[in-house]
Amino acid sequence: MNLSFAIPLSAPDVNFRLLLPELILSVTGVVVMLVDAFTGRSQRRATATLSLAGLAATAWATLWLWPSAQGADTRAWGGMIVLDPMRLSFTLVFLIVAALTVLISAIWVEWEGLPAGEFHTLLLFATVGMMLMASGNDLVMIFLGLEILSIATYVMAGFRKNDLRSNESSLKYFILGSFSSAFLLYGIALVYGATAHEVSAQPQASGALAQHVILAGTTNISAIAERVNDGLYPPLLFAGAAMLMIGFGFKIASAPFHVWTPDVYEGAPTPVTAFMAAGPKAAGFAAFMRVFLLAFPFVAASGQMRSTGAQLHDAWLGALWILAVLTMTVGNVVALVQTNVKRMLAYSSIAHAGYALVGFVAAGAADSAHQTDAVAAVVFYLLAYAVMNLGAFAVVTLIARSGDRRTDIEDYRGIGFDSPALSLTLSLFLLSLLGVPLTAGFMGKVMVFSQALGEGYKWLVVIGVLNTAISVYYYLGLIVVMFFRERTTEWRAPRIPTTLAVVLVLTVAGVIYLGLFPGRVINAFRAVQPIAVSSLR
Amino acid sequence: MQQYLLTILILLPAVGALAVGLHGSAPYARAQHYRWIALGFSALTFAVSLLLLGAPVGLGAGGTFHFVQDLPWVESVGAHYHLGVDGISLWLVLLTTLLVPVSILSSWTAIEKRELAFYASMLVMESAMIGVFVSLDLLLFYLFFEASLVPMFFLIGVWGGDRKLYAAIKFFIYTAVGSLLMLAGIIALWYAFGTFDYAQILAALQADPHRLTAEWAFWLFLAFAFAFSIKIPLFPLHTWLPDAHTEAPTAGSVILAGVLLKMGTYGLLRFNFALFPEQARNFAPLFVVLAVIGIIYGALVAMVQPDVKRLVAYSSVSHMGFVVLGMFSFTEWGMQGALYQMLNHGVSTGALFLLVGMIYERRHTRQIADFGGLSKPMPLFATLFVFTALSSVGLPLLNGFVGEFLIMFGTWNTGFVYLFWVGERAFHLNTWVVTMLAATGVIWAAVYMLWMLQRVLFGRVTNEKNRRLADLNWREIGLLLPLLALMVFMGAYPRPFLERSRASIEQVRARVVAGETQGVFSAAAQESK
Repeated sequence: MNLSFAIPLSAPDVNFRLLLPELILSVTGVVVMLVDAFTGRSQRRATATLSLAGLAATAWATLWLWPSAQGADTRAWGGMIVLDPMRLSFTLVFLIVAALTVLISAIWVEWEGLPAGEFHTLLLFATVGMMLMASGNDLVMIFLGLEILSIATYVMAGFRKNDLRSNESSLKYFILGSFSSAFLLYGIALVYGATAHEVSAQPQASGALAQHVILAGTTNISAIAERVNDGLYPPLLFAGAAMLMIGFGFKIASAPFHVWTPDVYEGAPTPVTAFMAAGPKAAGFAAFMRVFLLAFPFVAASGQMRSTGAQLHDAWLGALWILAVLTMTVGNVVALVQTNVKRMLAYSSIAHAGYALVGFVAAGAADSAHQTDAVAAVVFYLLAYAVMNLGAFAVVTLIARSGDRRTDIEDYRGIGFDSPALSLTLSLFLLSLLGVPLTAGFMGKVMVFSQALGEGYKWLVVIGVLNTAISVYYYLGLIVVMFFRERTTEWRAPRIPTTLAVVLVLTVAGVIYLGLFPGRVINAFRAVQPIAVSSLR
Repeated sequence: MQQYLLTILILLPAVGALAVGLHGSAPYARAQHYRWIALGFSALTFAVSLLLLGAPVGLGAGGTFHFVQDLPWVESVGAHYHLGVDGISLWLVLLTTLLVPVSILSSWTAIEKRELAFYASMLVMESAMIGVFVSLDLLLFYLFFEASLVPMFFLIGVWGGDRKLYAAIKFFIYTAVGSLLMLAGIIALWYAFGTFDYAQILAALQADPHRLTAEWAFWLFLAFAFAFSIKIPLFPLHTWLPDAHTEAPTAGSVILAGVLLKMGTYGLLRFNFALFPEQARNFAPLFVVLAVIGIIYGALVAMVQPDVKRLVAYSSVSHMGFVVLGMFSFTEWGMQGALYQMLNHGVSTGALFLLVGMIYERRHTRQIADFGGLSKPMPLFATLFVFTALSSVGLPLLNGFVGEFLIMFGTWNTGFVYLFWVGERAFHLNTWVVTMLAATGVIWAAVYMLWMLQRVLFGRVTNEKNRRLADLNWREIGLLLPLLALMVFMGAYPRPFLERSRASIEQVRARVVAGETQGVFSAAAQESK
């Protein structure tokens, strides 16, 4: 047996156009860092404005790429980077999250006297990481994006250096995040090994035995999909997929890999929590979906036997089903007993990851024609969640005041009629999180659940609906506390600063627009099905 | 103009709510202004809604809806902005637009805090309620159905009584859970038909009754029926009602009893009967039995209530039982009677809640034991209270009689035998037995109402505080008058009402009784012949 690692060496096909959004944002990040370094501390307005401008330019580049996401020119960088509607729609979600976070954090940075430039730089790089996770067509690329994101987020979680809770949050996030990264990396390694590939080479001379050449494995998603059925070590593939699932499960905070979430969310500064609950979660979904939908698709065998691909597909789909049910249920049930608003929203974010997983399961089971719809539904859900959740956290930030002092549910007693603007918008966001009609949350749930029903997951939808019923209690509980209870502590209605007012107007408009007219957005998201780019052929 | 009428009806109160809100930010705003704005807008809405009566008599004949507006809404999922009224929804819309200004007028002095939010909530509520009755798109219907929940939640929770928190949360959770299952049903229907449009789904089902497999139709019927049964509320899902009714402010109770409960029975007629007729037949025995239990149980529990408002609340359980019984008789009389009884209940029970609210405002108690001999200081109040109570009990020539008579006549004439299987044994239940049991409900109603009247109004004044109570003022008389006039008119001359609803009711009935070839129900029917 002739063992040769035939790695084709070729010049990478450089295509800057394809990476334009990421490039613009990286350059912006560097510029913000330099501006901050050379102008001193009083420049928080300048860095915020620069960051917003950079995010806007990136959004423009993303929209500019949109039409070509349907053309043929979708591969570059040796198959590492992909251009498809899934990537672009996720990118838009990330940009919206980042821009809103910049606005929310403006007031907080001022209160705490924190170095704004550093915060903005970290935020921009975290966003670049998220975008790379969505655009990576290679497990290594996705891992790199994830690390860029994670390291920036670790620092942001511990940004309030003098606060023990913030430090704890950062440390916990770092340790558990590294742990999950290790799982992910191990999974990548196992998949690489499992996809090692045996090809029969032509006999050199007549009479000689046919020779077998073992090719090295691959981390390219489309190449993995091609080799799923004839990899050399099928069991390794299962183990690798399981490790990947655990790694991504950590990132999207799905039960039972969610235990870090409440502590980290509670301890991190509120604007950072807002960012973490919306952005990295969506990025985790982007990578999770791309890897499992495109690298481990349903591949039927030619013979009588059930193929490895089919078995693997069934296995991960089954596991994902359980994950979805657990995540929804654990998130909602534990949220019932929380006494801290941030903790409650943390558990609610776990529950919402569960609802999004319902759509993911549907996407996994769907044939390629329906897969687009299901993926679009999940992206829509995550967009809706990002908008309403950031809005809710904006209000929480303002009410918490400096040092995150007022975050207990008790602190919200009776503030309803004294600060009607804050409490009514917060109520709207809570109702949207609950999924009351006229709001984005409702449309998101309708989209996701209808996809699952379409694939025949009756019970998954029933469990989802029952979970929504459970969640009525705690979302409503906060509204009840705000409006129906009498105030017990001293409360002065805070003045709403301009930046936060902008955030509230944007998020309220977004929640209502997505709730009433989701058609345009969902149509844009599902333009074409995700494209697997191959470079190895 | 015709096609925009319903949109205008939905938007008018919403605009009113906006006007109340905007006025609140004006520097010269006074708390007293809001009620005038709210009254103005709701009265205008009522006036506009009267235009609906201009539609040809026999509204809804041949399956047509009137004042139809149909625009694409969410095109990607095939949801329409589709509105229309037929002979069933016409009356419920009018009931809504009548009760809202009346209850706003009743809150004139009763609401003493957060007036802006109160009147805005009332108007938002009205928009949502009208929307529920005129939506011909399932998603739109669900949207209004849920949207009506939020303002009512606030009405109970902010302006309610001592146990308002408990009542508000219980109310919200009960109804939200039911409607979530309905949402799953609606989505499933979308999968079967590719549209949310009621008319299109109905047409597809008429063209091919087997479009839905029996198993799916079974689950879908249950999902819808569960949501509506909670709303009606059908025994044993009624436990939210006494709490919510008792703790809500007067205006909230009037709207809750007068309109919100009707959403449940309306939904059963509109969706469960028309879309899943076979399942409606199969489930009829269950619903009939629950309705009869509700009639008797509600009446008996009402009898022993020490609180007047709670008594009226439990009487609602009993009255709504009659409505369900009439609907599931599948006869024209019974179903017409059910619709008529919905209107009666809205008018009579609404008036009862208003009257209870009036003495509560004077005495700040609703305990029967705290009253006695009120007819001496308040003769006018006593007269109207007796009048309204008799209408609720079903005295001939007043409205309640017509509805209950039609329902019982219809049920008796069904002539079906309901079959129950307990294990291998079959139990028969003849409709005349059902009718007799329901009729006892009327007797119990007389008992609890008259007994309550006796203890509250007659005899000697036992409590010194009651001796100097002021009788009704002109505002209070004025707001009761339209309801009292309706009680007499509907009792004496029901024809204009029944005439307009006949074609639509007949159409629903035809759906349910058509193709009676399978199922327990028809087997039982044949057996009884």
